[in-house]
Amino acid sequence: MRYSETLVDHFLNPRNAGLMREPDAVGEGEYAGCGDLARVFLRVRDGRVAEARFQAYGCGPTIAAASAGSELIALRPVEDLAHLKPEEVERALDGLPEDRKHAAEVVADAVRAAAGQWLSQRS
Amino acid sequence: MTRRVYLDHNASTPVHPEVVTEMTPYFADVYGNPSSVHGFGRDAREGVDVARERIATFLRVPPDQIVFTSGGTESDNFGVKGLALARGRGHVITSRIEHHAVLRTVQALEAQGFTATYLPVDAYGAVDPDDVRKAIRPDTVAISVMHANSEVGTLQPITEIGRIAREHGVPVHVDAVQTFGKVPIDVDAMGIDLLSFSAHKIYGPKGVAGLYIRKGTKMVAIQHGGEHERRRRAGTENVPGIVGFGKAVEVRGREMHDEARRVSALRDRLWEGIAARVPDVRLNGHPTNRLPGTASLCYRHVESESIVLGLDLKGIAVSAGSACTSGNVEPSYVLVAMGLPLDWAMGAVRSSLGRSTTAEDVDYVVDSVAPLVQKLRQALPVGAA
Ligand SMILES: Cc1ncc(COP(=O)(O)O)c(C=O)c1O
Repeated sequence: MRYSETLVDHFLNPRNAGLMREPDAVGEGEYAGCGDLARVFLRVRDGRVAEARFQAYGCGPTIAAASAGSELIALRPVEDLAHLKPEEVERALDGLPEDRKHAAEVVADAVRAAAGQWLSQRS
Repeated sequence: MTRRVYLDHNASTPVHPEVVTEMTPYFADVYGNPSSVHGFGRDAREGVDVARERIATFLRVPPDQIVFTSGGTESDNFGVKGLALARGRGHVITSRIEHHAVLRTVQALEAQGFTATYLPVDAYGAVDPDDVRKAIRPDTVAISVMHANSEVGTLQPITEIGRIAREHGVPVHVDAVQTFGKVPIDVDAMGIDLLSFSAHKIYGPKGVAGLYIRKGTKMVAIQHGGEHERRRRAGTENVPGIVGFGKAVEVRGREMHDEARRVSALRDRLWEGIAARVPDVRLNGHPTNRLPGTASLCYRHVESESIVLGLDLKGIAVSAGSACTSGNVEPSYVLVAMGLPLDWAMGAVRSSLGRSTTAEDVDYVVDSVAPLVQKLRQALPVGAA
């Protein structure tokens, strides 16, 4: 198998998948090259992520990355997430093959966009 | 242990046990070079001759009109370049849904000064013979249209194309790698001058194939060296491979018709099972005029690769119709040529059934696909793709 056990587990049992009604912030990441798309919804309490949900379209790794990303950001301060790096999402999946790095990128993009939206609304 | 189901017979097949038995002595016992005059060489030559005879019988052509090659790719290169280069310059007609072995060969000829027409296909993936007629020009030197495409499986109207080509005196090459040994082929009735056919799609070994060359067809060799295969293809023959190829074809002669019936019923069971349980799915290609074991399905708004991965984790082998390499997605050029919208084409998954496929396998696949697609769609952004 070219994917880690962690990745496969997230793919088969995605956490926090689906729409969130009336979220405090939404962000999207898209990889133009292949149309992969991730959307992240945040519910924020006291500046921290109280709940995160995602929707994803793409190859297995992109779906897994969105799932892992939604766990990764739970309870974190939104200010930190404005700088979330794809490497962190990749680590949460125990690695990605070279030709699937974009999976972590679309998810990190989506999280940063959602965090950015929340921060700009607040100010 | 998880169940393992192989539904990728269009990619390759397991070697038939009778074929393995036939090949085995030709590695360590009968190892001479078939071009050598001594007894060791003659024994190897005998194996090659028997294989050629068996294939000639199956195709109903004279044995000396069959040349062995290293695979379908070489046969296609040989067929198309052999015709074009023998004529020096001119125009080549092919279709947009050929295997890359033909498409890229024609492109290479264009780079050398030939011109080319790439014929469109209809919504079923079939070439219109009338388009062939319209494309023929006074300088047309070759027509190359495949018998059936590996992905979609629609059979092409070769007989009509052959007739039109004859009227205009243009030679016809047919890539039959996916159909040879699966559906009947009559090179005379179909007007075929050159036919590419291969072993590993029909339970023979990999790396061996053939090109039928109708007597009198003006051709040049594309691989130069020794005087093998009546100087048409240089290189010491792959003796064990050729022996296995001959046996595989002989077995096909016995099994082809029954298997086609059985496999096509299973293919229908697969499609009907999935269609009954999964919304927004379609079967690509012609409903009846097609390869018996091929089912190309599109799941709308789901990405091919995620289905392939999900099924792989269930022990099921199918192939993705679109491929994402290094972040660049390529929906299948075949489905795009058939006019499928992108949100369907991106979710193409091909299953190809074969002689070992059972009804239980098919039911297991249906039971695995339905919840998988449902789950993938749950995580899907509305309006994506
Ligand atoms: C229609 C067709 N032509 C040619 C080939 C090339 O065969 P090979 O890769 O064995 O050379 C294939 C293989 O899939 C095929 O399906």
